[in-house]
Amino acid sequence: MQTMVETRNLRKTYNRPDGSTIEAVKGVNLEIRQGEIFSLLGPNGAGKTTTISMISGLVEPTEGDATIGGHSITAEPMAAKRLMGFVPQEIALYPELSARQNLAFFGRMYGLGGKALNRRVDELLEFVDLADRQNDRIDTFSGGMKRRINLVAGLLNSPPLIYMDEPTVGIDPQSRRRILDTVKLLRDEQDMTVLYTTHLMEEAQELSDRVAIIDHGEIIAMGTQDELTQQVGEEDRLEFTIGEQEIAETLFERIQQKTPGVTRVLYNPTEQLSDDSSESVPALMTVFAKRGRTALPQILQELDSAGVEIQSVTVREPDLEAVFLALTGRALRD
Amino acid sequence: MRKILAVAFKELYVTFRDRNLILLMFATPLVLSTIIGMAFGSGGDSGLPDFADITVAVVNLDEGVDLQETLNLPDQFPNLGAGPTDPAALLPPLPDGAALNFGDQLAAILLSQPVESPGTTATQGFDLSELECSLLDQSESAGTTVAAPLGSLDELLDATAMDTADQARAAVDNGEFAAAVIIPPGFSSHVMPPFAFDAGFIPRVQAAGVEGTVEVYASGGLPISASIVHSVVVGIVNQFVRVGVALGATLETSVEALVEGIVQGEFDLNAVDLSTLSTDLQDLDAAALGPLGCLITPGANNISTAQKPLAAIQEAPPFSRIIVPAGASQAVFFALFTGVFGIQSIYQERRNWTLQRMIVSPTPRFFLLIGKLLGNLVIVFLQILILLAALTLIASLVIGQPTLVWGTNIAAILVVTLALSLCVTGLGVFVVGLAKSPEQVNLFGPMINISLAVLGGAFGFALPDQAARFSLIYWGVDAFTQLANAQTDFALNLLVLFGQGILLFLLGAWLFKRRLDL
Repeated sequence: MQTMVETRNLRKTYNRPDGSTIEAVKGVNLEIRQGEIFSLLGPNGAGKTTTISMISGLVEPTEGDATIGGHSITAEPMAAKRLMGFVPQEIALYPELSARQNLAFFGRMYGLGGKALNRRVDELLEFVDLADRQNDRIDTFSGGMKRRINLVAGLLNSPPLIYMDEPTVGIDPQSRRRILDTVKLLRDEQDMTVLYTTHLMEEAQELSDRVAIIDHGEIIAMGTQDELTQQVGEEDRLEFTIGEQEIAETLFERIQQKTPGVTRVLYNPTEQLSDDSSESVPALMTVFAKRGRTALPQILQELDSAGVEIQSVTVREPDLEAVFLALTGRALRD
Repeated sequence: MRKILAVAFKELYVTFRDRNLILLMFATPLVLSTIIGMAFGSGGDSGLPDFADITVAVVNLDEGVDLQETLNLPDQFPNLGAGPTDPAALLPPLPDGAALNFGDQLAAILLSQPVESPGTTATQGFDLSELECSLLDQSESAGTTVAAPLGSLDELLDATAMDTADQARAAVDNGEFAAAVIIPPGFSSHVMPPFAFDAGFIPRVQAAGVEGTVEVYASGGLPISASIVHSVVVGIVNQFVRVGVALGATLETSVEALVEGIVQGEFDLNAVDLSTLSTDLQDLDAAALGPLGCLITPGANNISTAQKPLAAIQEAPPFSRIIVPAGASQAVFFALFTGVFGIQSIYQERRNWTLQRMIVSPTPRFFLLIGKLLGNLVIVFLQILILLAALTLIASLVIGQPTLVWGTNIAAILVVTLALSLCVTGLGVFVVGLAKSPEQVNLFGPMINISLAVLGGAFGFALPDQAARFSLIYWGVDAFTQLANAQTDFALNLLVLFGQGILLFLLGAWLFKRRLDL
C-alpha cells in the first residue's frame, strides 16, 4: 500500500516567557498508508494537535519534516496542502455567514470558483443533510449541525487525505455517531486517508485501521489494535471505583500476592477536575488478572475486609486503554 | 489575486453585517459631529461663534505714502514747467505730517491702541473717524487725532506687535498665535496709489500692485480663530480701500478739471492762487466722501492669506465652518478604531481557527494578510466617505439649502480619503503587530487613537502645530479643510499620509509576521 504521510523525526520546541523551553513533540516518526484511518490516541496535552499542525503546515517544525504524497510540507508546502483537507477541533466557521457562504469562502481558498464551486458546495450540503439549511447563519445551527459543516469544509477540494483533530468534541451522542459513520464512509467509499486524533479510546478502537499512542510528545506504541493489545498480553482489567478514602499500600500488595492470576495493581487516587472546581474524579483501582472474572470474588472480599467502600466494578477485555495504562501507568483520562 | 479578493470581500461582508459595529462606525461620529456643529456653529445662523482673546501677532512694515509724491504734479506734467509758472509754485510741497500711513492705523486698531496719524487731522487731509461705515468709534472728540477702536476688538483679540514677518510666522507655527497679520511696506501706496497721466494727459490713479497686500498667516490648528482674525482684517482694510478710492477719485477729478481749465485757457494761471488750490486739495474732508466710500465694493485683493485657506470659510455659514474640521476629525478618529480592531480580528480568527483553516489551504500567508488589509482599507475608505456624505446631508438640512461642505473637487476628496484610509490601516497593522496579544491591542489601540485625537484636535481643542503634526488626524483634517475652501495645496498632506501609511504598514507587517507564528 502506498504511503500517504510520512514524518521523520518531527520535533517542536516552544519558548516559554521565562526563557526556558518546552518540547511539545519529541521526534515523531509516522508512516500512514493510503486509504487507512490512522488514529493518534493520547490524553489531552500529549502532543496530538501539535503533531497534526506540523504535518498540515500550520506550525513549522523545529526539526524534522513530513511528506504528503511525496511532497515535503516545509519545502513544497503548496503542493502538499493541495492533497489535504483539515477538520480542526474547533468550529472553524464564520458564525455570521450562512453554511453556504462559509463553504463557498473556504472553497475559494482552495482555488475553486464558479460552477465547480457551487456544485461542490451542493454535494457537500447534501452529504451532511443540511441542504435545506444552507442559507441560514451558522450561529443559528445546533452544535451537531455546526460539526457537520465543519467536517465537510475540510472536504471542499476532494482531498485524498484529511486530518481530523478530535472532531467529536462537545457534541451529543447522536451527532457523534453521525460523524464517526461519515469518517468510515470517507475511507470505504472514497478511499480517503484519514488521520484522526482523539483522546477517546472507544473512537480510536471503532474507527482505526492503525493507531499510534502518543504521550508527552512521544509515540509510545504504534500498530493495529491486535498488535497493540498483544503488548499487554491476555490480561483482563478490573476497574474498581472507590469513594474518597485513604487506602494502604499493603492492601494492594495483599491482593496481588493472595489472588490467583493477578499480575499488577494500579491505583489512581481521587483528584479535583481543576483548581477552582468542586467536582472530582473518584479514585480508581485497576487490577490486571489473567482470568478477571474468576479473581473478582476474592478481590472484593479483600476490599470488604479492609473496609473499602466500592462504588462500581467493571471487567474489561484487553483494549487500547489497557495498552496505554500498561505503557504509562496512567489512565487515558489523566 | 482571487484569493486576496475573496478574503477582502469576506472582511467587508462580515463587517457590514455587524449592527453594533455599524453603530460605532457611523452613528456615533455623525451624532457627535452634528452636536458639535450645532453647539458651536449656531445652526444656519450667520453669526460668528463666541470667541475671545484670540492671539494675533501684528507686524507693521508699512512705509506709508507721501501725499506730495502721490500728487506728484511737477513730475507727471513737466510741460507746466515750460510755462510762466514754476511747478514748485503751482503745487508747493505739503507741510510736515502730510504723510499717510494706513499700516500704522491698521496695527493700532488690531492692537487696540489709539490711532495716531500725522496726516489725518480735520484741517489737513482727512480723518478716518469721519468716514461712514467705519469700524472706528464715532463718538470721539472732534479735532483730536486719536480714534479709539470699537470696544469689541479689545475683547476679541489679544494682539502683540512684532518686528519681523519671519518672527511672526514662526510664532504662529509654534502655536503661540492663532494668526499673524503682516502689513507689507507698500500697503499705504497700495491703498492710495500715485497718479499717472495717460497719453491724453488725463490723470489716472495707477493700479495697485500685489506687493501691497496684507498677509494673514493662519494656524492650521486654530482655523476658526484664524478665520476670525482674517475677517477682522478684511473689514478694516476695506475701510482704508474706500478712503483711498474716494480720495483718489476726488483728486483725480479735481486735478483733471484744473489741467483741463488750463489747457482750454479758462484759467489765467497768473490770476490763480495755486497755493490756495493746493491747500484746498489737501483739505479734502473725507466726511463728505463717506457715502461714496460705502458704495464701493471692498477690495478683497488687499488681503492675502498664507498657509491656511480662509476665504471660503468666511463665505460659508458657521455650521459648515464647524462641521468641516469637527466632522472630519470625528470621521478619522472613529476610522482609527475600525483600522485597529479590523486588523485585530485576525486574532479572533486565530481563536476561532478560521485563520488556521485558511493557512492549511494552499494559500500563501502573505495573501491572507494582504486580503485582510485590503478589506480593512476598503472598509475604512467607505466609512470615511459615507461619513463625509452623511455630514454633507446633515449640513444641508441644518443650513436649509444644498451645501457641499467638503468642496466640489470630488476626485481630490477621494484621493485624500484614500490616503487617510491607507494611513489608518497602516497604523492598525502597526498597533496590532506591536502588541503581543489581543488584550494588549485592546489596551494600546484606544490609547494610541485617543492620543492621536488629542494631538490632532479631534476633541475640540488644538495643540501647537508642531505637536499636532504628529497626528494623522491633523493632516487629514487639514486636507479636508483645504478642500472645503476650494484650495488644492494639500500635496504635503497626501505625501505625509501616504508615506506614513506605507511605512507603518511595512513595519507592522514585519512585526505581525512574528506574531503570526501559530
